[in-house]
Amino acid sequence: MKTNFLLSILCALALSGCATTRPAPATTPTPVVERCDATQAQISQQADQQASPWSIEQHLARNFPDRKVSWLMKESAYQSFVVETNARNFGRCNDTGCYLFAAPTPVIQGAVQASMSEGKHDPAALGKALGLPAKNFEGPLRMMTLELDAAGVCVRLPVESDPGVWKCSTPEDTDCFKFGGYTSGGVPEVMVLNAPVAQAQVEQVP
Amino acid sequence: MSGEQVLLRSPLLYRLVREPSGALAIEVVVGGIAMSTVRVRLDESEAAAYAREGQAFTDRLAQAIMANPPFGGRSVDVP
Repeated sequence: MKTNFLLSILCALALSGCATTRPAPATTPTPVVERCDATQAQISQQADQQASPWSIEQHLARNFPDRKVSWLMKESAYQSFVVETNARNFGRCNDTGCYLFAAPTPVIQGAVQASMSEGKHDPAALGKALGLPAKNFEGPLRMMTLELDAAGVCVRLPVESDPGVWKCSTPEDTDCFKFGGYTSGGVPEVMVLNAPVAQAQVEQVP
Repeated sequence: MSGEQVLLRSPLLYRLVREPSGALAIEVVVGGIAMSTVRVRLDESEAAAYAREGQAFTDRLAQAIMANPPFGGRSVDVP
């Protein structure tokens, strides 16, 4: 009787302990390909096959764990092609969508912060951190950030036929496209479709 | 640049302008995770092609510049 009583208390404690310490089930984000239209879904599947065994989902899990992306624009380009046009989406738009290259937010923000000196970014330091020529960062910049899941956007591995792709001509080229989800400078990148301007956080980089 | 007229602005992220001299120039956003703009002045044959084909030509020209921003040494960076 006494043994049974002790056992029942132990079981209750154990159950109670399990109930209170068991981690909440992890929420698995919807596969990003499900947010793509038929055209982009097909491109994404072909890109995953080409990158196999790598895939966009593995790429996001490893390189974009917070599911946030960022990218940079020179202030003049931002004013001419986003502000003056009252653009609804970022990126290069044609009749199939708006195409935007983006990198992990911590990588872009970290590079920008590390390059700041006396209230201004250093183009050489930023270029070195991102594996791109310094001239790409001369003058004031804008840094955009987008939460992929909140925006519900289609995301996939970039492919050579994407608008804006600069094909590498020599192994030494440092700001051209190489398939696989990384820039030629080694920074992870994704292709974001129809990234809404209204949902992006935009910061000035003096 | 001041005194120039924007003739065409495309969602593909380029614009065609007429300079005060009358010459045509195209400004194209290039790059991936870091975007900037380059400017190329159209030569006579390109200006003639634009006169014939309109935006179909400038779309092709802009895509060619995006795919190779130095564009044979003809492009200059827009500050």
